[in-house]
Amino acid sequence: MSAFLTLRTPMLDRECLIEAIEATGLRRADIEVHARARALTGYQSGMQAEIVLRKQVTGDRYNDVGFRRTPTGYVAILSDDHPRFGRAWLADVQVAYDAAWTRKQARLAEAERQRLEEERRQLVEAQRVAIHAKAKAMGYRVKETRVGETVRLALVRRTY
Amino acid sequence: MALNLARTLSRSAANGPGERFVVWVQGCPLACPGCWNADTWSFGRRHVVQEDALVEEILATDGIEGVTFSGGEPFMQARALARVAARVRAAGLSVFVFTGYAREELTGRHAELLAHTDVLVSGRYREELRVAGLPWRGSTNQQVDFLTNRYGPEAMGGGAEVEILLGPQGATVTGFPVEIGQLLPC
Repeated sequence: MSAFLTLRTPMLDRECLIEAIEATGLRRADIEVHARARALTGYQSGMQAEIVLRKQVTGDRYNDVGFRRTPTGYVAILSDDHPRFGRAWLADVQVAYDAAWTRKQARLAEAERQRLEEERRQLVEAQRVAIHAKAKAMGYRVKETRVGETVRLALVRRTY
Repeated sequence: MALNLARTLSRSAANGPGERFVVWVQGCPLACPGCWNADTWSFGRRHVVQEDALVEEILATDGIEGVTFSGGEPFMQARALARVAARVRAAGLSVFVFTGYAREELTGRHAELLAHTDVLVSGRYREELRVAGLPWRGSTNQQVDFLTNRYGPEAMGGGAEVEILLGPQGATVTGFPVEIGQLLPC
């Protein structure tokens, strides 16, 4: 076999990396994902990776392809001379990773926005219920109206 | 003509008769102890609004029967408010003014705003004379004057004494609240 390349990438997120690999035309079932690094076949130096494409995917004549998790991101382990899973493919993975990461950031931001909004709604509802109870105990009648997101509670002194 | 405002509320039922657009002006020299709106005492620039813009905003608000000027001390900006009052009254709205001055103190330059006022509530807020449930007044020494025929004493009944708005910006209380802590849970 030929020499191999180890390319450091800024890919930090496993979910996005898997999504990016799939985006290059592979099925999810083609991608082995392990919590602990597993040995890659075809290399002489005992290379290991957590995300692996086996020979069944890369081809019998070629090495496995792997992505090894490191503190600074996933590192790609692949053969430079592979006609499909070489440097050009890795560039495609990186482009797809960037897109997946952007989508994930948007999802997280939206989820956080919704969480905060729900928290605020619950607070308003708790205040509304408490004010109704307190106002009633203090002899007020409460007229409630809503304008957009704002609840308006008008407290009118009961005269009966 | 420019006005220095503390805030506005486009719709309130606790600041005079019916649904009203409320304008709290910025700046008051009276500094009544116990005032609810001590943040409006300073004469520093806060929200400077042109008369035209304020009138447009008021007239664009559906379903109100009038405008209320509060503060701060409305008569410290009497001329500009008089111009706003004249224009909104011409459009059929009523004008209600809360002032900390006693009626007899309102002379000279104040007359222009008085001339466009339907209801005037006047007098210093005196904490020791605070009584809950007084329509439109914070303390018993304050006086309600109906300066035109538009409203009479019957208008003082049945309105909201306190109003609480719960929204994205938090909780706001307006009107004549009892101890706010008694009403708001936090």
